Amino acid sequence: MSNIIEIKSLTYHYPLEGGGSVKALDDLSLQIAEGEYLALIGPNGSGKSTLARHLNALLLPGEGDVLVDGLSTSREEYRYEIRRYVGMVFQNPDNQIVATTVEEDVAFGLENLALPPDVIRRRVAEALEMVGLTSFSQHAPHLLSGGQKQRLAIAGVFAMQPRCLVLDEPTAMLDPRGRREVLETVKRLNRSEKITIVHITHFMEETFDADRIIIMDKGRVILEGQPPDIFGGEVDLESLGLEMPSIPKVAQILRAGGLKIPPGVLDVKQLVNYLC
Amino acid sequence: MLIETRNLSYVYMPGTPFQVEALKDITIGIEKGSFVGIIGETGSGKSTLVQHFNGLLKPTSGEVLVDGKNIWSQNYDLRALRSRIALLFQFPEHQLFEETVFKDVAFGPRNLGLEGEELALRVRMGLELMGLNYEAYRNRSPFTLSGGEKRRVALAGILAMQPEAIILDEPTAGMDPLGRRNLLQLIERLHREENLTIILVTHNMEEIARLADRLLVFFRGEIVLQGTPGDVFASAEQLRQIGLDVPPLTQLLQELRRRGKNICTDHFTAEDVAAEILCLLRGEDRL
Repeated sequence: MSNIIEIKSLTYHYPLEGGGSVKALDDLSLQIAEGEYLALIGPNGSGKSTLARHLNALLLPGEGDVLVDGLSTSREEYRYEIRRYVGMVFQNPDNQIVATTVEEDVAFGLENLALPPDVIRRRVAEALEMVGLTSFSQHAPHLLSGGQKQRLAIAGVFAMQPRCLVLDEPTAMLDPRGRREVLETVKRLNRSEKITIVHITHFMEETFDADRIIIMDKGRVILEGQPPDIFGGEVDLESLGLEMPSIPKVAQILRAGGLKIPPGVLDVKQLVNYLC
Repeated sequence: MLIETRNLSYVYMPGTPFQVEALKDITIGIEKGSFVGIIGETGSGKSTLVQHFNGLLKPTSGEVLVDGKNIWSQNYDLRALRSRIALLFQFPEHQLFEETVFKDVAFGPRNLGLEGEELALRVRMGLELMGLNYEAYRNRSPFTLSGGEKRRVALAGILAMQPEAIILDEPTAGMDPLGRRNLLQLIERLHREENLTIILVTHNMEEIARLADRLLVFFRGEIVLQGTPGDVFASAEQLRQIGLDVPPLTQLLQELRRRGKNICTDHFTAEDVAAEILCLLRGEDRL
């Protein structure tokens, strides 16, 4: 599989008010394969969001290089294309709404591409279908629930036919149903539409379906692996400012008590199947 | 009973086309020293209810009583009430505004008329209850603090008023795992050691199952379930229908029980759940 994103020795400093700067990314290298579902975890201030903003040229490398489908984000002539390839969804759904109906909100980006009206209509319909908001197309976005607003934001990005979707804590402000809806939508985009996913989260359980988990600290990648590698009991997550999710934690205690539970047992169903 | 509501209803923007009945006929009691969790989907009435507890909102109909007294009766001192039953809004860090941590924490107690030595003592107490060293933090600008520290400073400002009860509206929203863990430990300690009544509004089922001794479950302005976490999470199907969820640990125990295992489902920490399972396996001679 080819890499859609290549990050080479990326260093980035945020300027501080009154002079000086703080290093947010420190000589970080990372490849993301086309079609991969990558989860990015780490404590606040570890550089996750700074990294995410480099993936579609919202931030530009201080040193090093970021390539999207081989195109360097440092080169101005590629930025338009890069931003079409890589869509972003942020934490607060209310900050991402631009229009007065759901349908128009999804169409907004497409209209800026100057596409013919029938193409726009088709893509809007497809995007709403994908996130399960078809019956809401004429609704006012501000009256949607949190989960619906986030799915609307995803639809707006999906309509642009991106190859990669970067989600920065998309469920942080949602209730349990909203969270379920968004996670299912993201998974579907990855599985059936083959869109590459970069999902930043503070909720460890949300990473169980990822192909690969990256743990960041102090602007660097300090650990990476598949979910069983990270949550199988070998890694001291608390010392990294993270936490062991509850079911893997139970499995870990049971292992210490003498059970031979495989590291891939992460969720309720898997643990029940093991125990029964 | 510290706080009671009787047939409380609240309508936003009454008499307009935007009229919304946010609370419908709510009658509840919150006992002194209890830890009450309030859950429900976004817009179900949780935040509207807690703003009635210290008189920030006035019921459209029905009553709110604190220590048996109607807080909307004539001559009732609402200002004193708000220092006794203190509310921490969502994202309280947005409400820090002073140039030093000291001034920010001192804002509430100063409004209560405290000054000088006594005021400084209150500020010290508030900060230290939040695990923030007085000397190290007092002169810092709130805006140079991390997100988690800001939230603790905001809570310190409330604690400096020496309230009997604190209402926390999604206090851990948006925090990282370590920040969440630290803040919840501090809140737990306030309950256990300072005997504060805690009312916690949250979307995190796992946290609240572990912390609260009673849960109120909202759906579209009404309380549809209440009881101990064990009682409430036993209604798994109903919770899912109203947009909520059962914590993974409870799902695990419920599923083992459904499969015929003789297991108690009233455990809410990984340690307790694992101990229960080990006990079960020993009983089955599998260990």
